[in-house]
Amino acid sequence: MATATKTARERVMALFARERQTPVPVFSGMGNVTVYGLEDAGIGFAQVHGDAEAMARAAASSYERFGYEAVVVPFDLGVEAEAMGRTLNTYASSDGILYPTVQNKLPATADNFQVPADLELRGRIPLVAQAIRLVKERLGEQVAVGSYVLGPFTLAGQVLELDQLLKLAGKDQTQMHVILERAGEVAAREAEAYRAAGADFVTVREMGAASDILSPRMFRNLIQPHLKEVFAQVGGPTVLHICGSTQNIVEMMADCGATAVSVDQKNDLAASRATLGPEKLLFGNLDPYKVLVQGTPEQVREAVRNCVAAGADAVWPGCDIWPTVPAENMQAMMDASREQA
Amino acid sequence: MADRFQELLEELRQGVTEYDEERVKVAAQAVLDEGFDAYDAVMNGLAAGMEEVGRLFGANEYFVPEVLMCADALYGGLEILRPHIEVDPSRQVKGAVVIGTVEGDVHDIGKNLVKLMFEIAGFTVHDLGRDVPLEKFVEEVLSTDSDFLCMSAMMTTTMGGMKQVIDQVRQKNPNVKIMVGGAPLTGDLAQRWGADGYGKDAPNALQEALRMVGSLREMHQEAAKGG
Ligand code: B12
Repeated sequence: MATATKTARERVMALFARERQTPVPVFSGMGNVTVYGLEDAGIGFAQVHGDAEAMARAAASSYERFGYEAVVVPFDLGVEAEAMGRTLNTYASSDGILYPTVQNKLPATADNFQVPADLELRGRIPLVAQAIRLVKERLGEQVAVGSYVLGPFTLAGQVLELDQLLKLAGKDQTQMHVILERAGEVAAREAEAYRAAGADFVTVREMGAASDILSPRMFRNLIQPHLKEVFAQVGGPTVLHICGSTQNIVEMMADCGATAVSVDQKNDLAASRATLGPEKLLFGNLDPYKVLVQGTPEQVREAVRNCVAAGADAVWPGCDIWPTVPAENMQAMMDASREQA
Repeated sequence: MADRFQELLEELRQGVTEYDEERVKVAAQAVLDEGFDAYDAVMNGLAAGMEEVGRLFGANEYFVPEVLMCADALYGGLEILRPHIEVDPSRQVKGAVVIGTVEGDVHDIGKNLVKLMFEIAGFTVHDLGRDVPLEKFVEEVLSTDSDFLCMSAMMTTTMGGMKQVIDQVRQKNPNVKIMVGGAPLTGDLAQRWGADGYGKDAPNALQEALRMVGSLREMHQEAAKGG
């Protein structure tokens, strides 16, 4: 069997080069740390965000334990905000899984969003780059190493007050474009820093621009031009991921210049495949909570089969893998794709 | 005379739905200058406009930025009209609400829309913001003696905090009406946790609350009678 001899990295990189793989690869470009990974790294969730070594080990675990076909760091969405001078609450005193949150957002004006000259050296960008290097050193031959950055709008919403930013989007497009252009610069430079550290692919997450929030028209006028700019500046394989409602924007997503597009469970994948045609790389759209965490292994298998049948070129969960996912469901997810092939 | 008032009401409504703050302000000022009733203008002009906005949002014609801009237009008019509303017992404020997104959760777009609906309907709203420590909900409900507690969560992991708050609030003041919402919640779950209400979207949340106001009134009356 030819597939058995290919490494996970070879399969994923071949896919990005538009060679469809059998079995369909199962990986993602979003966080995929599990409680088992945290155990392997001997660290709590609140602490893992600030420790490159632990981050690298915890991330590698999903590959080592289950054969997940990518290792991705970091796990939170606060890296950019921190590099821009905001502070994060990591809930250090909580032993449950609480994702970090940005504490002190600024009023939404262009003046409040300035790109630091030494961006790549600020906050945890060097730490994430270091974690990428560590994974790359240890597993770089076997498995694809990924990282992610926020899309311009979502990124701006982590630095500036989001409700004000949303109003600005409707009221003052000129100022909004200035902010988004700067946010796009942050995203592109950060992505390049991760690539320089060895990331094989970078995902751009623009969840704030889903059609639960912004109209498709606003997506076209305000969001798409800046996503295009970002993808024009980032080399190597890239993925644009948006979770939430994406049916009406999936075509525009596919036209942003990313190597592949990824959507979540709210999207009717078969319909999107029909819209995009057979060529475009389309990833998705396993429900990360209702199926992966709460489902039975059999339900997970069925969901994976449905993704593949709907035309997914890779099975991706709709968002970060939720850390408390049962081990047997992780296993079922990996097995299902192989069984089907 | 009546025609002129109808015209102004229409201005207020359209100013809100078309998020034209200036237009709303001008119409609101005209209501006062020409001696019409401020309360009537708020309810049948501003609030009626916002009701239409809720409908447009539900129908995916308006999205979050539009709704927030409409709200700004509404507030512009409210600021002008509010000081002139005569306090009449039959038009009494409907009650006080404590609202917030639970600890560990920053998703507050939906919560802000729900808050807006309550404000417009005339409730006094105490907004605790996002990522609110669970004890804070309990403290605030008690210290403000609010009639309603509204909690929002968008993550399956954070929504569990709601149950704890419900249990604690119930122990201390069983009369508070508790509503929960957010994408991962269901009416079923809300009921199992002992909440009084659930709303799948913002207009729906308000309807639920208004339904409960009725029973709240009865409760207060009972309490007064019972002494
Ligand atoms: C925008 C968004 C973000 C923004 C939030 C910005 C903000 N300030 O709100 C940002 C980028 C910051 C973000 C961060 C994260 N997110 Co997020 N996000 C979303 C997204 C795309 C949209 C949510 C939204 O605003 N919808 C629009 C509003 C209008 O709808 P709504 O919130 O449902 O509100 C309505 C009703 O629910 C109801 N309602 C709401 N509250 C209440 C309360 C009461 C009392 C009542 C009656 C009714 C009611 O009325 C509202 C109005 O009609 C969703 C996906 C989705 N489509 O749901 C993911 C999603 C919620 N996020 C998710 C995740 C995992 C995260 C992160 C953990 C990612 C990470 N790795 O860090 C972080 C969490 C950080 C944290 N600690 O909170 C997951 C949650 C999974 C789960 N089931 O637990 C989702 C579902 C994505 C997915 N596909 O899996 N996110």
